[in-house]
Formats: sequence, C-alpha cells, structure tokens
Amino acid sequence: MNVVREVLEELWSMFVGDRRLTLLTLLVVAASAAVAFFAKATLLAAILVLVGAIAVLADAVFAAARKARG
Amino acid sequence: MLDLATAAPAIGAAFVASTVEVVEAFTIVLAVATVRGWRPALSGAAAALGVLAVVVAALGPLLSMVPLQALQVVIGVLLLLFGLGWLRKAVLRAAGLMALHDEDAIYQRESSRIGEDVRSAGAANGVAALASFQAVLLEGLEVVFIVLAVGAGHGLMIPASIGALAAFVAVMALGLLVRKPLANVPENTLKFGVGVMLSAFGVFWTSEGLGAPWPGDDWALLGLVGAFLVVALALVALVRPRASTVTP
Repeated sequence: MNVVREVLEELWSMFVGDRRLTLLTLLVVAASAAVAFFAKATLLAAILVLVGAIAVLADAVFAAARKARG
Repeated sequence: MLDLATAAPAIGAAFVASTVEVVEAFTIVLAVATVRGWRPALSGAAAALGVLAVVVAALGPLLSMVPLQALQVVIGVLLLLFGLGWLRKAVLRAAGLMALHDEDAIYQRESSRIGEDVRSAGAANGVAALASFQAVLLEGLEVVFIVLAVGAGHGLMIPASIGALAAFVAVMALGLLVRKPLANVPENTLKFGVGVMLSAFGVFWTSEGLGAPWPGDDWALLGLVGAFLVVALALVALVRPRASTVTP
C-alpha cells in the first residue's frame, strides 16, 4: 500500500505540486478556449495561451522567491 | 513522413527529460546494489519495468480512441502544468533560492536507509528489491508521461520513444561503466532545458487543440522554445539575490 500511496503522491505532485500555478494555468486555458470558440479569434487565443503561460510562470517564480526570502 | 523540424524537438525533449529521470532511478538502484547486491536491485527494477510496460500497453489503445483535438488539449494542459512546474523549480535553483539536486547525497541517504530497514525488518533482500522497484516505478512513470505527452498529441510516439530509449541506454551504459552515482550530470541545466521544452510543447498543443494553430505550424515550436528560454533566463536574473553592498 505504501508503494501505491507514493505513486499517487508522485502523480499528484507532477501536476498539482503548486496549486496556485495549476489554478491559474487552467484559467488561462479556459479564457483562451472562450476567445477561440466565441470570438473565433484563433490567433489571439494562441497568443493568449503563450502570454498567459509566461505570466503564470512569472507569478509562480516571484511568489516562491518572496517565500524563500521570508 | 515526419520531417526533422517535427521529430527533432520530440526526440530531444524525450531524451533530455528521460535522462534526468533515469539518472535519479539509477542512483537508487545503484545504492541498493551496493548495499545488498545486484540481484535484488535488478529484480526490483525489472518488476517495475514490467508494471510500466503494462501501463503503456493499457494506455496506448485508450489514447487511440480519444479524438485528436481533445487529446491535444488534455495533453497540452498536462504538459503546461508539468513543464511550468519544472521550469519554476529550475529557475529557483539557478537563482540559488532552492537547493540543487545532489545525486551523491541521495545515494548516501538511500544506502543508509536500506541498511537501517534491513536491521529492523530482517528481510534484507525484500526491502532492497522494494526500494529498487519503487524508484524505477516512480521515475519510470514520469518517463511514460513525458513520452505520451511529447508523442501522443501529434503522432510522434516513435520519435519520443526513441528519445527515451536512447536516454535509458546512455545512462545505463555510463552508469555501469563508472559504477558510482552520476553526480556530474548537470541535472539542473537539463531540467531547465526540459522545463522550457515541455512548456513550449504545452502551449503549442493546447493552442492546436483549441483550434488555434500557430503560424508556421511545427516551426513555431522553435519560436516558443526561444520565448520560454528568454523569459526563464530573465526570471533567474530578476529573482537572484543580489550581493549586499558594503559601504566603508
């Protein structure tokens, strides 16, 4: 059972290790999907995925840096 | 017919990402082998590889039943979560805000842990084989995900598998040759590169799955890799603690 638990923990940490990063990434994808489907602006949706992902990364790095510095 | 612009990033991403995982698994298998011998170490590793083969055999047919666009969105999002998470850690490590991964320390810790477990449980080879099994299974699951993520959304399973297999062969050959933890592998540099590549793949496939393909098709991947690389390097410079200036 210990092995199964560790496997599940590993899978969880692979994708949800940082909850804020996970939530913001899903929000970016949802917003891009809305732009692609409702506004039919496909290039804008693609750019939104890129810019959003970069913003999520920057947010996660700055948050972790602030925490590390106390 | 696959062209180089499509296959090379998949092979490269799978190779580099798998190298990191195989090095981590090899370190623990080697620690087990040093403490209890190669038999339990290899039997545990072989059992884990068997479980992984079953996982791949089960997932393969399932993936072929999912519509390609839906698969691209799901895998793209998973890649984004995995890649951005990995890149975040790599940036923090490069900036000196998080401890580097130390294979020598892991080797020493695992060796002593197995030794302690053996004294208390009295089931020496079983404990050793289980440690080996667990390490190969956990790291192997990440390799399986990387191969599926890099390969499944765009018909690149073969190039991605070649990349992962090449990593396995290279690390095993090097590891068995030197017979000590591969501490000199620049693991954080590899993780930095992998985080950049997986994030770029994630953006590319999420967009494609949403019906928003990038101009230039597969060549856009190179631009996305460049964008993430520049941003990640800039973030390292921005969060790196500055040396305190001492005034006389």
